[in-house]
Amino acid sequence: MTNTYRIPIIARGRIIEPGEDVVEYQGRGGATFLTPDPHKHVHDLVLGNPVLLQDLQQTPTRDIIDFLAEAGKRLHIDDNPYLQESFALALRAGGLAEPILRGVYEDLPLLFDPDAMFAQIDSTIGVDYLDGWVPSPTGPHCRVRAVGTRQLHITAGNVPVVAALTIVRGALTKSDILIKSPSNDPLTANAIMRTLLELDAGHPVCKHIAVAYWKGGDEFMDSQIVRTSRIDKITAWGGMSSVKHIQKFLTPGIDLTALNPKFSMSVIGKEALESEAAMDEAATGLAVIAGFYNQTACVNTRLVYVESETDDASLDKLAELGRKVVAAFQRLPETLSTPAKAANADLEAELEAVALEDDFYTVEGNTVTGGVVVSRFPDRVDFYDQLNNRVVNIVPVADLLDVVKWCDDTTQTVGIYPERLRDHLLDAFALAGVQRLVPLQGGDPMQIYRDIHAMPPGMPHDGIEPLRRNVRWVIDHRPLTEAVPLSIAAE
Amino acid sequence: MADVSQETFALSPEQPGNWLDDGYERLFQLSWRDYQDVQLAVLKRRFEELSTSVAALEKLVKREGVTSVNSFEDALPLLFDHRVYKSYPLSLIEKRDFPKLTGWLNRLTTHDLGAMDLAGLTTIEEWLDRLDAFGMLIGHSTGTTGKLSFLPRSGTERRSWQMAYQEASRAATGIDSRSDTVETFFPGYRGGHHMMLKMLWLFDVPAAGGPEHFHTLYPTHVPADLSSLAGRMQSAEDRGELAKLGLDPALLKAREEMIAQAKRRDQDVEAWFFKLFEQFRGKRVKIGGTFSDLIRTARSGIEKGLKPEFAPGSFISTGGGMKGFKDAPEDWEGYIKDYFGIEKLGMVYGMSEGMPNHPRCSQKNFHILPQTIPFLFDRDMKLLPREGVQTGRLAIFDLLAETYWGGFISGDQVTIDWEENCGCGWKGPTVGPVISRFAEMEGGDDKISCAGTAQAYNDFMDFVSQGLAPS
Repeated sequence: MTNTYRIPIIARGRIIEPGEDVVEYQGRGGATFLTPDPHKHVHDLVLGNPVLLQDLQQTPTRDIIDFLAEAGKRLHIDDNPYLQESFALALRAGGLAEPILRGVYEDLPLLFDPDAMFAQIDSTIGVDYLDGWVPSPTGPHCRVRAVGTRQLHITAGNVPVVAALTIVRGALTKSDILIKSPSNDPLTANAIMRTLLELDAGHPVCKHIAVAYWKGGDEFMDSQIVRTSRIDKITAWGGMSSVKHIQKFLTPGIDLTALNPKFSMSVIGKEALESEAAMDEAATGLAVIAGFYNQTACVNTRLVYVESETDDASLDKLAELGRKVVAAFQRLPETLSTPAKAANADLEAELEAVALEDDFYTVEGNTVTGGVVVSRFPDRVDFYDQLNNRVVNIVPVADLLDVVKWCDDTTQTVGIYPERLRDHLLDAFALAGVQRLVPLQGGDPMQIYRDIHAMPPGMPHDGIEPLRRNVRWVIDHRPLTEAVPLSIAAE
Repeated sequence: MADVSQETFALSPEQPGNWLDDGYERLFQLSWRDYQDVQLAVLKRRFEELSTSVAALEKLVKREGVTSVNSFEDALPLLFDHRVYKSYPLSLIEKRDFPKLTGWLNRLTTHDLGAMDLAGLTTIEEWLDRLDAFGMLIGHSTGTTGKLSFLPRSGTERRSWQMAYQEASRAATGIDSRSDTVETFFPGYRGGHHMMLKMLWLFDVPAAGGPEHFHTLYPTHVPADLSSLAGRMQSAEDRGELAKLGLDPALLKAREEMIAQAKRRDQDVEAWFFKLFEQFRGKRVKIGGTFSDLIRTARSGIEKGLKPEFAPGSFISTGGGMKGFKDAPEDWEGYIKDYFGIEKLGMVYGMSEGMPNHPRCSQKNFHILPQTIPFLFDRDMKLLPREGVQTGRLAIFDLLAETYWGGFISGDQVTIDWEENCGCGWKGPTVGPVISRFAEMEGGDDKISCAGTAQAYNDFMDFVSQGLAPS
């Protein structure tokens, strides 16, 4: 197995290979990264003069989509050596099992589907606003345009989709983007960009994307890059630490979109405990939403609140539901979910410790096969923020509306079963911070997975609309007398 | 049984609590390889007694399928993780559900806590007081991670615990606290059930000659309720719902005072030390506290031109690592000695979960006393050979634990030299001076994920517990 990976810097159409200025980073899984010293390439990474975005601004959205769609056709892992290399490294450095990661990679071209891309950008920003100045319907002397910006993206690596998503979104917003790759997925963005460069390194999209790896918290890099003269917008995924480092350099004029770590859950109605069939259906839904991508994503359920009393008979049923969830994990297709590569020592120790406490907890399964901790009283486990490796905590609550006390801005997705609960909970959950409610019904794992993910293009993300946020909305305010007729402006 | 090389002295497996009765010196003349059979015999007996009378151990024994302990290896699956001592639901503390909390603790001890009267209890502090009155000696942790662990020690262990503490201090400092009491400074809290503070109160206050000779920075301590609920109180306060927690108003007031106090702490430590410098000029004293307290004081004393002058025979007794203290001087020990004008600096290595402390010798190694059976594990929890020099995660069996299970795996990474060649002349396995936290982290610390499973951050405890007590 290769131990050393060369990670070139992608610098707006150019590939800078690690040469004399090579630096070495110790990566995850024992891999070593070699990359050109990012300290010496700051000027290759940032766009000091925003007016240089003109080439991309003047490229019609249609052309951008055509270019991306053409690139998408080449993003097949079977015959793309760049993706093969990044796949191998992501497999080692990241947390996903082989069949799942392969599935994620095989789905990459879907993000480059021309119709989906058009719908995405048209429904969020509106292609007219990107390609020209749009008069206000009620005051045509004022026209508005969505203008591309200079963006830094500190991306998450737990699911490599983020790399592709960032590139597509950057191009569609006609923006200049710098991607700082994460150590758990250092090559995917790189591989996609090298594919684009092969297609046409001179395309304006390629001229405005840079990709590099440096160590998170590198103050020199942050201080050089995060300046109002060089960056307009920052999108920071993931950990508090990544956001906190950046915050030191934030000044008014730089807009931060913090896609904070999220924490998702499910709510299950009492019907699930009333018949074998309903329990099976709920257990399958829970196994899918907790287990897909091996619980590495923010969408994955970690806590399950069940409408239930806490008498012994009810708790026995909860334990039964727990066993069914663990059993359902084992039945998930391997492109969705697999047993963990290794036990999670910390979490395993937590499970073992609470398993000694019959009065309070019942434990089923473990951190390799997946597991369940059933609380025997209405509160989550104290280590709820460590639930990983397909381990969920089932918590009985008499009234599911009480669950709002555990909801906040970090509560991204809530799985619901049965649908009867939805209208009862929707408004309260929305106010409490929940960002999305999804169905768990049906009992067929692949169908449930697709249902969870089937959304029209351009839906909000984590309660915000990142695409709208990442452009600058500029007003061209003319004298009233010079109002441009709608028909002309729309050209 | 042991093939005893010392003609005049051999350890008896009957009463490990008495092994120190004639002083630590003779124990350090024994090679651990010669007494390991005796240790095993004690461990075997502890297993036989406790595996049916400590419910949590009983469950673990069943789960691991351990039927008897005929070798050390047999007992290794039975090491308790620190989480076992805090496996109760935090909501029990929040609701002050004393029957359930007592029920939880009852599973960790041979004592029947069901017989304890719980009437009238309103705080965790009172609960711990009541347990003490009942004959327990429960110590809790600092709660920096948001949840207190409770160690179920009891009066049954008190004598052997005290002996181990005093003898380790005597070995480390050369001063016998039983016959030679000395004015003591400790720059921290006073009293309470925090394990470290409890030990000070049980053993160091008498060593000082009584409470009036034991000088602490603050007259009180952080109530266990406050340490334990800090996280919940903070989030309740953020929501403007602190009142809804239904906590004693006195506790809320104490919290505010603690926060204010913690912010002033550096100045307070200085002012307090400098006042004592004057008051005890020319007198013989003992100074306790963490390195960081002592270094900070020395630094600011040097800045202000303040120099203590204590009588000969004064000594420093310290421990607690460099937790939370950056840019310490390389030769911090010399730095402290120089500043305080005190030549003798005694140190012991220990952990809340084990009663015996292990004194540091003239060669700066910590020698492990035979009441503790040490083991080292590697990253994959494989046992490292008990030979040569090994670095790994430390686990112990504390043979002094009679009423609770003494098997414990720590979070400390240490280096043990098993070969007993220490230049000081003492025998026993030695722990080297570099002791760090056993970290699970590996490689690039900028692994970024969208899933929010990181440990929550706790500003309040960070303030309050900063260097106050080595845990």
